[in-house]
Amino acid sequence: MKKKKMLAMLLAGGQGSRLYDLTTSIAKPAVSFGGKYRIIDFGLSNCVNSGIDTVGILVQYKPLVLNRYVGTGESWDMAVNDGGVHILPPYAGAAGGEWYEGTADAIYHNIDFIDMYDPENVLILSGDHIYKMDYNLMLEEHEANNSDLTVSVIEVPWEDASRFGIMTADENGNIVKFSEKPKEPDSNLASMGIYIFKWDVLRKALLEDHETEGSSHDFGNDLIPKLLGEGKKLTVYRFAGYWRDVGTVQSYYDSQMDLMDNVDSINVFTGDDRVFSNANMYPPQYIGREANIHNSLICNGCTVYGSVNHSILGSGAVVSAGSVIEDSIILPNAWVGRNCRITKAIINEGAVVEDNAVIGDPEGDVQVYGKTNLSI
Amino acid sequence: MKTIGLISANYGSSEFGELLENRTLASLPYGGRYRLIDFALSNMANAGITTVGVIAPADSGSLIDHIGVGNPWSLARKRGGLFVMPGSVYGMQKSGSRFLMRDLLKCDRFFYKDDADYVIMSGSTDVCNMDFGPFIKAHAESGKPITMMYKKVPRGEEFHGYFLDINDSGGVNAIHNESVGWSNYFADCFIINRTYMLDFLKWYKALEYMDMIELIRDNMHSMDIGTFEFRGYLGKIKNPWEFLKVNQGMTDYDIRNEVFCNPERPIFTKAQDEAPVFHYPEADVRNSVISTGCIVEGRVENSVIFRSCHIAKGAVVRNSVIMMHGTIGEGAVLDNVIVDKYVTINPGVKIYGGEREPVIIGKNSTI
Repeated sequence: MKKKKMLAMLLAGGQGSRLYDLTTSIAKPAVSFGGKYRIIDFGLSNCVNSGIDTVGILVQYKPLVLNRYVGTGESWDMAVNDGGVHILPPYAGAAGGEWYEGTADAIYHNIDFIDMYDPENVLILSGDHIYKMDYNLMLEEHEANNSDLTVSVIEVPWEDASRFGIMTADENGNIVKFSEKPKEPDSNLASMGIYIFKWDVLRKALLEDHETEGSSHDFGNDLIPKLLGEGKKLTVYRFAGYWRDVGTVQSYYDSQMDLMDNVDSINVFTGDDRVFSNANMYPPQYIGREANIHNSLICNGCTVYGSVNHSILGSGAVVSAGSVIEDSIILPNAWVGRNCRITKAIINEGAVVEDNAVIGDPEGDVQVYGKTNLSI
Repeated sequence: MKTIGLISANYGSSEFGELLENRTLASLPYGGRYRLIDFALSNMANAGITTVGVIAPADSGSLIDHIGVGNPWSLARKRGGLFVMPGSVYGMQKSGSRFLMRDLLKCDRFFYKDDADYVIMSGSTDVCNMDFGPFIKAHAESGKPITMMYKKVPRGEEFHGYFLDINDSGGVNAIHNESVGWSNYFADCFIINRTYMLDFLKWYKALEYMDMIELIRDNMHSMDIGTFEFRGYLGKIKNPWEFLKVNQGMTDYDIRNEVFCNPERPIFTKAQDEAPVFHYPEADVRNSVISTGCIVEGRVENSVIFRSCHIAKGAVVRNSVIMMHGTIGEGAVLDNVIVDKYVTINPGVKIYGGEREPVIIGKNSTI
């Protein structure tokens, strides 16, 4: 088998509990985004746009939608010989089975998978961030520095630094300290959860960490401090583009509204590095005679008879006559009855909003309404 | 009851002018994201037919580009799958003939090598969502070698093609070329026993310049032909005006629901994966169908807009079809116009087509 320069391991097992009802039946990376995308599209598209054709996707929490959505990887041009996407769930061996206990533990359990491709480097990604990035540029720096581990970082406002994992680096970019959510940060370089490891270094560290009593088997808490302590060469890669962790309802909402309000901040839709999705077979949208749509993103399969302003309608969503949707996101296949008023709310995938419902508060927090219904 | 399908795409029409200059009728874009052949292919796929032949015209770049190896219709497979077979040059010249004997003889291996009981033969240019399941069942139960699909059309309406004279027991007495007195319009679709098809090809080998339906018509006395009524929507497109009308059919609730929103029988097409449509604050869209990748700043009414078009501020598009990658400049007005792919309409340009005579703007042009 051809040796790989780099393969990617995409961590997609998390629940994303702060997204509440959005993730009761869907893993966070598979949650709808921007009407027709799912969050994992960003990681997968970045990979293919960076020339990475082999990706292991580590799943654990509610993986059904994710598995079906990723399929053979064809939608991201990853249905290739000698590589492609691989869904990697926890599995049983002769001695029984174990759940993935932490991010590093998930990789530990798939050492055999990575060995199969015998890559020089392994790229570790989170499946739940919104950003576009050329991982090749990061790899170039990683190799130029001859680093054992390169961590992608982004400058955050100092007042926010205590909410992130913070890397402290010297003037040459060498990491001297890592602190998880420091109370008094001495750096404002936040880790983006994107790592490039030399595979031999990571492999050895994973085996040792597995035997370490009391380890939480986490990249941030355990692996990075361990490598730092061993005097390995750890460097930062500074990223300056759009990057959002959509871990809360508010950030999930804001980042989608950016697709309309800040179109220059991230170009999801066009260019050589655009984001791909597993496009669905819906007919084009139908806009009725009495409909009013302004400043909104509307997907294939939508039927609109009501009014939609500054909102996103996901694939197959229906807005019946007399309803007014404002500052809201209607997820795919949700159905809004007649004469409803929806303001500053997120209507869950496949949810039904009965006639005359009033949802959301223009002055309050963003509300999530309805239970996911995937049988549509 | 194993059934395979054969779709004929080797026919054209002289009535479309520039629209068919670089494409066949079967690959004419339709409804915002489709091509006409999608309906025949999807009808086959939705009936669980996994071996489908397509008789392609000699010059079929646009068709092959669209159907590829058949992935959207689940036809990229080890057993069976999609077989694209080149038809004769004669096909595109003999306007209107669907099932040329010359083409069928040329691809007779398709009938020989399979062990299916039946073959559904279909044209490729009607907009319809047909359930082939009951059709196959009715044919199998009838014991007849051929069953023809027809649709009852109102007398006096402009349908061109074959009309069936059907007797009380549902058999065909005669086939006519005129609708006078007959309203059972042959829907360019029939099912035939595969072994009977092989015999048919042998019997009429010498008449290879004929159309198979003509041969059936002329030899009615020796054949026992059954019929099956199609009660759904049948959008026939034989000139630019009908093309415009049938496209606008997508804005009709019943047609849209029946043809495009049946969860049991979706219409598949090549996926393109474009962005959601951006309706700008100034956009005003009424009774229209808009495909992904479009940016709408102006006014759109009773129209079908294909993917990745830009309707600029103050532009008005009415009763028109804009194919993919069209740019309609600021303040431009289009009414009853068919705009082919990659066209730029400059700001302020106004084009009005006649009600039954839409103006056609050719591919790649700038006006």
